[in-house]
Amino acid sequence: MSRTAKILSLLFIAFWVLTAFVPALIAPADPLAINPSQAFQAPSGAHIFGTDESGRDVFTRVIHGAGDSLYIGLAATALGMGLALVLGTAAALAPRWLDEVILRVLEALYSVPSLLMALLIIAFTGPGVGPAIVAVGLSTAPGYARLVRSQIRTLKNSEMLEAATVLGRGTWRKVRNHLVPNALQPLLALVTLGIGQAVIWAAALSFLGLGTPPPAPEWGAMLSAGRTYLHLAWWLSFFPGLAIVVVAAGATLIGRALGGKVKAI
Amino acid sequence: MNPLLAVENLCVSFAGQHAVDAVSFELNAGECLALVGESGSGKSVTARSLLGLSGGRVSAEKLVVCQEDALTLTEPAWQKIRGSSVVMILQDALMALDPLRPVGREIEDVLKEHGTLNRAARSTKVLEALASVDLPDPERRMKQRSTQLSGGMRQRVLIAQALIGDPQIVIADEATTALDSRLAALVLKQLAALKDEGRAVLMISHDLAQVAQLADRIAVMRSGKIVESGTTEQILNHPQHEYTRTLLRAIPSGVPRFAPLSTKAITSEPRQLPPTDPDATPALVVENLSKSFSRHPAVIEAGFVLPRGSTLGLVGESGSGKTTTARMILGLERPDAGSVTLLGERFAPHGEAARRNLRENIGAIYQNPLGSFDPRYSVGQILTDALSAGRSKRGSGYKDQVARLLEQVELDPDLSGRNPRELSGGQRQRLAIARALAPEPQVLVLDEPVSALDVSIQATVLDLLDRLQQETETSYLFISHDLSVIEHMSDLVAVMYQGRIVEQGSTAEVFGDPQHEYTRSLLTAMPRLR
Amino acid sequence: MKLLAWLGRKVGGALVVLWLVATAIFIGVRLIPGDPAEAIMGGPGSQASAEALANARSEYGLDLPIVSQYFLFLAKLIRLDFGTSYSFKDPVLQIMGEVLPPTINLALMALAVAWLLALLLALLAMRANKFGQLLGNAVEIVAAAVPHFWLGAVLIMLFSSMLGWLPAVANGTAAGLVLPVLTLALPLAGFLTQLMRDSLNTAMGSQFALAARARGESRLTVFRRHGLRHAALPALGLTGWAFSSLLSGAVVVEAIFARPGLGRSLLSAVLARDIPMVTGIALFSALVYIVVMALTEAIERLIDPAGAES
Repeated sequence: MSRTAKILSLLFIAFWVLTAFVPALIAPADPLAINPSQAFQAPSGAHIFGTDESGRDVFTRVIHGAGDSLYIGLAATALGMGLALVLGTAAALAPRWLDEVILRVLEALYSVPSLLMALLIIAFTGPGVGPAIVAVGLSTAPGYARLVRSQIRTLKNSEMLEAATVLGRGTWRKVRNHLVPNALQPLLALVTLGIGQAVIWAAALSFLGLGTPPPAPEWGAMLSAGRTYLHLAWWLSFFPGLAIVVVAAGATLIGRALGGKVKAI
Repeated sequence: MNPLLAVENLCVSFAGQHAVDAVSFELNAGECLALVGESGSGKSVTARSLLGLSGGRVSAEKLVVCQEDALTLTEPAWQKIRGSSVVMILQDALMALDPLRPVGREIEDVLKEHGTLNRAARSTKVLEALASVDLPDPERRMKQRSTQLSGGMRQRVLIAQALIGDPQIVIADEATTALDSRLAALVLKQLAALKDEGRAVLMISHDLAQVAQLADRIAVMRSGKIVESGTTEQILNHPQHEYTRTLLRAIPSGVPRFAPLSTKAITSEPRQLPPTDPDATPALVVENLSKSFSRHPAVIEAGFVLPRGSTLGLVGESGSGKTTTARMILGLERPDAGSVTLLGERFAPHGEAARRNLRENIGAIYQNPLGSFDPRYSVGQILTDALSAGRSKRGSGYKDQVARLLEQVELDPDLSGRNPRELSGGQRQRLAIARALAPEPQVLVLDEPVSALDVSIQATVLDLLDRLQQETETSYLFISHDLSVIEHMSDLVAVMYQGRIVEQGSTAEVFGDPQHEYTRSLLTAMPRLR
Repeated sequence: MKLLAWLGRKVGGALVVLWLVATAIFIGVRLIPGDPAEAIMGGPGSQASAEALANARSEYGLDLPIVSQYFLFLAKLIRLDFGTSYSFKDPVLQIMGEVLPPTINLALMALAVAWLLALLLALLAMRANKFGQLLGNAVEIVAAAVPHFWLGAVLIMLFSSMLGWLPAVANGTAAGLVLPVLTLALPLAGFLTQLMRDSLNTAMGSQFALAARARGESRLTVFRRHGLRHAALPALGLTGWAFSSLLSGAVVVEAIFARPGLGRSLLSAVLARDIPMVTGIALFSALVYIVVMALTEAIERLIDPAGAES
């Protein structure tokens, strides 16, 4: 990755970390402050993203919503990736029969697309932030597990490891010196891509009313609320959505730069 | 008679860099000119510019192709003469044919682009073309994809495709490079037939020995320029330019054992190895080795003995089973039957944990070493890792040893901090040799170690291997498809064909008085310069 | 004979997958705390009538030992008896029969549009210069990262509110289909183009493309005879997954554009915790995935019978 790319990526990540933890630094106003006389203001100098139906500043809400929106996405990725790493690595390194079994199970889970799977899980658990995390995490895990498995298998069968065998290295040393370090970068790329996707799914769940409850300024929820006023005040839905796109696209770009040419999630 | 091809001061550049610089030559009907050079010499770019496909900036004082002034041709005009007046036969038949299309279609395309035959007539012509190159069962084969055909059949398809337009000029771009020697001889025979029919043949190759059999004239290229040109006889027997002499000297054909191939050999006079002690434990004993994959037998009852301090050349075409044999000897594949004994100890089949201690006695060198290096390690780290048995890759305690290893393989110690990706092919192979030598093994298995290298680099690496063998008395199992390399490097030879060893003996025996039919056919196909 | 064997494998695989999904649902329901009858009908603390609960108990044999319940459950599914939907009060199968067609319709159209767009963009990209390539790259990545709910809102904003060309809500006309189809198709097109461009570049730079040019073919002809097939192959391989994700996206799109369909039904079923409905939809989507995968595999075999590009 080129130096400029590295710097830009770090700045991007730093910005969102900041926004998530100390939003007040960027948007000092109160996201919940109601001001009915200022309702439905179009974007202007005073309110760069406009105001909503209760007069709240949209920009402030978008910035303060970063924490909620990103939290579900990150937690879900941690859960999903964690599962995927365990299952994928097990399948890649296991004896043939175990690999086959895990593959079949993954195939079955993979046959139900992510959002549907998430919805199905919520049907059992009921809506809420916790369930949303579990739902998104579990539904993305099978796809990632397959990718992890394929990465590790490629490494396992590589000439590099064969050369190490010929040089007399034992299994532990091969795994420690060569397999793990070389697996890290592509896996990191995968995780980054995954975060982008998870943020979108989490927002989708909130959009459908199944995630973070109002009046939290979560992006998906904001977008959903703004739909009713789409003809009047397009900015209510546009800017929260834009934030999601920026985070997801940014994560995708960084993930790809790290070396992930991922086929399907 | 006007030459079919007249080139004067041709220059081709890419982004300001000259790939071809002031190249001039002529080619008449019924003649064969060979452009010989190593990678980066500009020979392929020259060939492509004769079809208007170089992709770079072309300028010349004169560029006449089949009586057309090529410098003024528009793209549609080029398309008219490509495939009909001028054709190009590419290197690798597997890559030169679209794997997703039936080969018959690929040939038919030429007729679709040139001429007005209807579908039925085209079909007939394709069948004729395939029959004329002796392709068995053409009706069935023309519907198959290139991956479903054998190497020989693919080659015939390529040639049929080139000839169906009845071209005047045939450009063969490394047409024999990726081929086994018997197949290459076949292609050369067909090209010779083309010459006899009155066509003009331009051969592009890095293999001087091979082109010498067909070419009337040879032009030697280096860094985009022609450094020397003349008749084949002149070039082979009275080379004027230093580079031409280097190329000729690098050809192993007919060069005696341990005689240097490059001018940089440290030992200037050929030395013999001290005679081997017949009672000493042999380095390797391979007995009755067999292996099948999914019921397809790859190796069948292979057996030979590698005495200490000598080189056994294992020669065979692709698919003969030599790599599988090597992998079994290295303990990377488990034999279905038979055994491998290393320095008197049982090595295969054996539990990995038990034989790990023996592994320091045997090392391996591959054709393309880059894949065998951990991409994160630098040159120095690779060697430190090898010296410390994987325990360390940065240890400063190994600095001296690393320097010594680098010196031993004639690599600049300054390269220690570089990643192997940044090295040339020859340098990477030296690094691989250094790594293999770090544990001071008694046996080295070399699987096509120089096949991917340019001729002059190949010569230096072969000389290095010779020198190392004289210094360390390591035994080599040298695997290759190139007979002249095997002849030069080996004391003993084993010939593999379809999984079996069909003949073995001393080099003099096998090459001088071959018994088996296959060996004989191999030797007939081998180009001889001396 | 080989065809029969292949079919047999596919059907067998399908049954295994469906069985796994059904079992997962069975276990999932039994994991919900409280009365299983309530769990099936609206979740713990549901508003179901005592009568409905009693019906559920007898239908699912909730008084029987758990193993018998399991086999009863499987037996019902094999008979295609998914039970009665709690929220809609009609048999699940009947409801699904009503809502499936519009969703499948939508998904198929979106798939077709996405493919066409992707092919077109790949062709354009082939002829573009450096700047065009970069721009194309950026557009692809953004397109693939854009969530359906946002894209739908933006499209409504642009074409409905501002320009007034197209309706924002389903009204049964063809015009009412345009925005929903576009919303589904654009992100998929972005993703497919990335794939196609990669393999197209590889194909057009390969030896056989050069050989084709050397035969006198123009660039366009080479694209048509060679590039197209190679570009389409990986995208084809992912069509199974793509179609499934379209069904998934339909949930959101139907919500945004207030269209009737599977997605909307699923959403309300989830909100009402209507397990019979959810079971039916889950099994159905698994089945769709398997069928589409089998179809694409068959087409792949046609294009590449020797398996050269796998």
